[in-house]
Amino acid sequence: MPLIDTDVHESFSGVRDLVPYLPEPYKSWIDGGGWRGFSQPFCYTTPGRGNRADVQNADGSASVSDYGVMRAQLLDYHHHDYAVLTGYFYPTALKLQYGLASAMASAYNDYVAEHWLAKDKRLIGSIQINARDPDAAAREIDRMASHPQIKQVMLAVVDDIAYGHPMYRPIFAAAERNKLTVAFHHTVYAQGPYGMGLHYMERHCLIPIALMPQVISLICNGVFDSFPNLRFMILEGGFSWLPHVMWRLDREFRQGRVEVPWIKKLPSQHCRERLRLSTQPTEDITPDQWGKLIDLMGTDEMLVFSTDYPHFDFDNPNVAIPRALSDDIREKIFWKNAAKFYELDIPTSAVPSQAAE
Amino acid sequence: MPRHTICKTSEVEVGVLKPITIGRSPLILARLPSGEIRAVGGYCPHQAAHLKYGCISGMTNGDTPNELTFDHAGEVLRCPWHGFEYSLVSGDPLVPAPANMGGRLRFYDVAIEGDDVIVIM
Repeated sequence: MPLIDTDVHESFSGVRDLVPYLPEPYKSWIDGGGWRGFSQPFCYTTPGRGNRADVQNADGSASVSDYGVMRAQLLDYHHHDYAVLTGYFYPTALKLQYGLASAMASAYNDYVAEHWLAKDKRLIGSIQINARDPDAAAREIDRMASHPQIKQVMLAVVDDIAYGHPMYRPIFAAAERNKLTVAFHHTVYAQGPYGMGLHYMERHCLIPIALMPQVISLICNGVFDSFPNLRFMILEGGFSWLPHVMWRLDREFRQGRVEVPWIKKLPSQHCRERLRLSTQPTEDITPDQWGKLIDLMGTDEMLVFSTDYPHFDFDNPNVAIPRALSDDIREKIFWKNAAKFYELDIPTSAVPSQAAE
Repeated sequence: MPRHTICKTSEVEVGVLKPITIGRSPLILARLPSGEIRAVGGYCPHQAAHLKYGCISGMTNGDTPNELTFDHAGEVLRCPWHGFEYSLVSGDPLVPAPANMGGRLRFYDVAIEGDDVIVIM
């Protein structure tokens, strides 16, 4: 069966890798060690720390940045047709020095184009931006969008941005005019409503609660309506909460449409038409419960498969989606829904059932 | 059941995973602090990670938040991916798995003959 993996984290070995791509004065600042890059405000507790412990260089040292390792462990091993690179260097997380953050976004995009996208046509690129400077972010989207492997804009979920706010409209406008999707992914600074919690487990459980408000914000502030051709992806934020959020939005809209008349469709309809959610980390539910959940969503076209490679909570495509689900639903989750979302062609030879018809 | 002579007993140390292969099947050997040697199926029962990349640990305990104790050193195997913990004494996960999912390590019988470690599978 074809496979499109919608959340794969490429990386670099350190922020100094950006120096060749940075203009002055930022080049000197970073080259001089003025900033060492983002560091998570907590300690990882799994054997590989933040990554799978088997993501290693040939000498046994931990790797987060090597295309060869990714190719061997993921792209070739699991026979990926496409892997959507989503990064884990999100300049929006820098809370000040907007010019530096925007320059680093551009530098990182150039770095990824040269060191990742150029090496493998299976890799689909996402544009990193500094959302705190929406006009600069829009210019960066316009600059990168012509790359043939670029399909998406990444919006980093931090602790102080709900992207429905009107100030972020230039980003969505740029994504729409360049026919790109927008994807939301947490950062190490994402929080729940009362902070990050006191333990890694607590913080990790709060990630979906940082993603749900983005959906609510986009709907309530008219982003779905203002940009009718734009499609939205929630990555690594869970998915079984979606029926509740859709029901709640619909109910509140019936009660309170008077306040938000710019919403032109039932929120649940907006979601079903143009919102997608990645499956990793899959939830430990039975095949029967998967079917019930999809029924509650009202469509089987919302879920797209992801591994989250190389992170520790990787989902193995051979195991994570129950084989007892129907072939039709498995095909939609593993590739059809994502192929439609990203407008990707799957070689006919990779689709035996269609080739035979 | 075929018997496979794997290595010398001195090559299996407490706290160290020793990856082996029998036919096409990966296994790991580990020595418990009691001296007993375990032969364990090489894939995690959760999502099939290669356990040879995992680590042998002990067990954190505690009844009061933020007061951790650490004991049972050498008796816990942690998966290299998700970090699930398994008892090398019983094979059970320290946190029970959902009913619909695999949960226990697979143990194989081990015999010691002289200095030889023999796995029966």
